Order: sequence, then structure tokens, then C-alpha cells
Amino acid sequence: MKPEFPDIHEIWVYLSGSPLLALILTLAAYQVGLVAYERLGRNPLANPVAIAVALVAATLSAIDMPYAKYFEGAQFVHFLLGTATVALAVPIHAGLRELRGRVVPLFAALVAGGATSIVSAVGIAHWLGADPSIVAAFYAKSVTAPIAMGVAERIHASPTLTAVFAISTGILGAVFARFVLDLVGSKAWWQRGFALGVAAHGIGTARAFSVDAEAGRFAGLAMGLHGILGAVVIPLVVRWIPG
Amino acid sequence: MIAGLVEILIFQGLGEIVSRFAVHFIPGPVVGLVLFLGWLHVRGSVPPAVDLVASALTRHLGLLFVPAAVGVILFWPHLKANLLPVVAALVGSVVLTIAAAAVVLRVFSGRSSDEA
Repeated sequence: MKPEFPDIHEIWVYLSGSPLLALILTLAAYQVGLVAYERLGRNPLANPVAIAVALVAATLSAIDMPYAKYFEGAQFVHFLLGTATVALAVPIHAGLRELRGRVVPLFAALVAGGATSIVSAVGIAHWLGADPSIVAAFYAKSVTAPIAMGVAERIHASPTLTAVFAISTGILGAVFARFVLDLVGSKAWWQRGFALGVAAHGIGTARAFSVDAEAGRFAGLAMGLHGILGAVVIPLVVRWIPG
Repeated sequence: MIAGLVEILIFQGLGEIVSRFAVHFIPGPVVGLVLFLGWLHVRGSVPPAVDLVASALTRHLGLLFVPAAVGVILFWPHLKANLLPVVAALVGSVVLTIAAAAVVLRVFSGRSSDEA
């Protein structure tokens, strides 16, 4: 009997058992998101991460693949978040030179932004009667996702839910930044970038870089400083609040 | 390029070790970031190989968030039951945070901001 070509079902079983499928899915969805973002003239509403997440989620539910199974493959991409966090030292190092003469405003904005983020998110969620497990996941959401997930573990909140909130915050920040910054009359690129970086970490920084290089550098600096500050302060704040 | 990746990975590893055994309230990658920043400061310049890897990673930071963000599907029923507070807190908080940071920057930097 001559060897037969395996039928499509066997190929499918083989592929879905390897990390390849999840990796292809993740990268292809992100590529589609990037192309859409460019095609639409870098409109903040066409956020590439949001598009990619929607595509992957829709595909997983269409092919009935559980998230845990998807993550088995996608963890290779996820792992690089830690590496990327360390690599942030490079843009921060470049940004530190620009700190000169601006230390006071930048540090004040960082503290004000960080405090506003926690108080407003936790306050609004609590006030509107959200579940305690959801409220807990709001503490670290303005900190870049890899750091937010580490902080979440330490304050006994769900790391995945925190990551979801952090990423949603990044996307929303990238979408709303232009309108909010125009509304409060912020003009200088370094200020616009830094404000966006404080509020919307990595995705905000990506957005800032795609608008203006100086804004991007300051957004990266803000993200890094907020990450360091948040990692130290948020667990203390949570311990301090009764409940 | 590989030399840059090796250097960054070494600092990631150092960060994990220091975090695990000394400052466990700070996540490993953050400790790695601080150590690496100190090292770059001591050395005074960023080697081209490190710069190449770092800019590739930071430029496509968005991609790295996708696997974790897809986790939203696990929480979908839970989130749907809390939709109003979640959306209100997310949108309200990010708008207020951007505004607060921008206003403080403008107030504290005074007139110098108009020259930029």
C-alpha cells in the first residue's frame, strides 16, 4: 500500500499540538493590526494591539481552542515582555540626559499621575459596585503590563485580569490622549509624551513614538519610571488600605 | 545583535535572582531594568548591538502584550456582569491620569514649556 497523504484532520491535530499555531496566529493577527493602523493613517481608534487581540480571541472561539492551550504556544512571545522590560533601560538611559532642568516637573507629574490613576480607577470601580476581585485588579493598571502582572501577584490580585486592564488602559490612553491633551492645553511634545507614558505605559509609548520622536522618548521614560515607582509603592499602598 | 540579546538576557536573569533572594516585592524584570540602567550609566554609552535589540523590542512592545490580553476571554462572563464599572473606571481613570500629568507638567515647568 502506498503511503497516503494525511488528511486535513491529521494535519490539524499535529499543528494544534505544537506551539506553531499559536505563534502564527499571534504574529499574523498583530501584522493585520499594524497594516490596518497604517492604512487608516495611524488613526488612534485603529489600535494594532486591540485589533490583534480581537482577531485572536475570535479565532480561538471559532476553532474551539481553550486559552490555556493557546498560551502554551504564545508564551514564547509573552516571555519576551520581561526581556523588553529590561531593554527599556536603553530608552530611559537616553531620556535621562533630557531630564536636566526638568526633574521637578517630571517627578511631580509622575507622582500626580500615578496617584490619580489608582485613586480614580479603584474609586470609580468600587463606587459603581464592581466585584472586589475586579477592584483589586485596577491598582496596577497604569503600570506597564509585565510589571503590573508582577505587582498583581504580590497584592493577591489576578495577574491576567490586571494585564487585561493594563492593556485596555494602554489602548484607551492611546485613543483618547490627543483629545485630552488638547483639552487641557498641553502643547510641548515632551509634556504630551510624558503624560501619555505615565497614564498609558507601553501602548501609549508606541502611540507617542508613531506621532513624534521626542514625545516617544519622554513616554518611554515615563513608562519606565512609573514602572519602577509602581512596583515599589503599589504593594505598600495596598497594605495600607484596610480591606 | 546576538551580543546585545545576551547582555539583556543576562541582566534579566540577574534581576530574577536578585528579586527572588533580596527584594522580592519588586518583580524580577524591574530589578533587571534598574541594574541594566546602572550598568549603562557606568559604561557611559550604549553598544550598537544592545541598541539594536532594545529598539526592536520596544518598537514592537505592542505585539508582546497580545498573548496576555487575549486572556480577556477567560474573564468575559465576569467582566460582562461588571461592564459598567469596568468601562467607567478604565475610561475615567485614563482620561483623568493623562489630564493630571499634563496639567502638573505645565504648571511646574512654567514658561519654559512654551519654548519647547
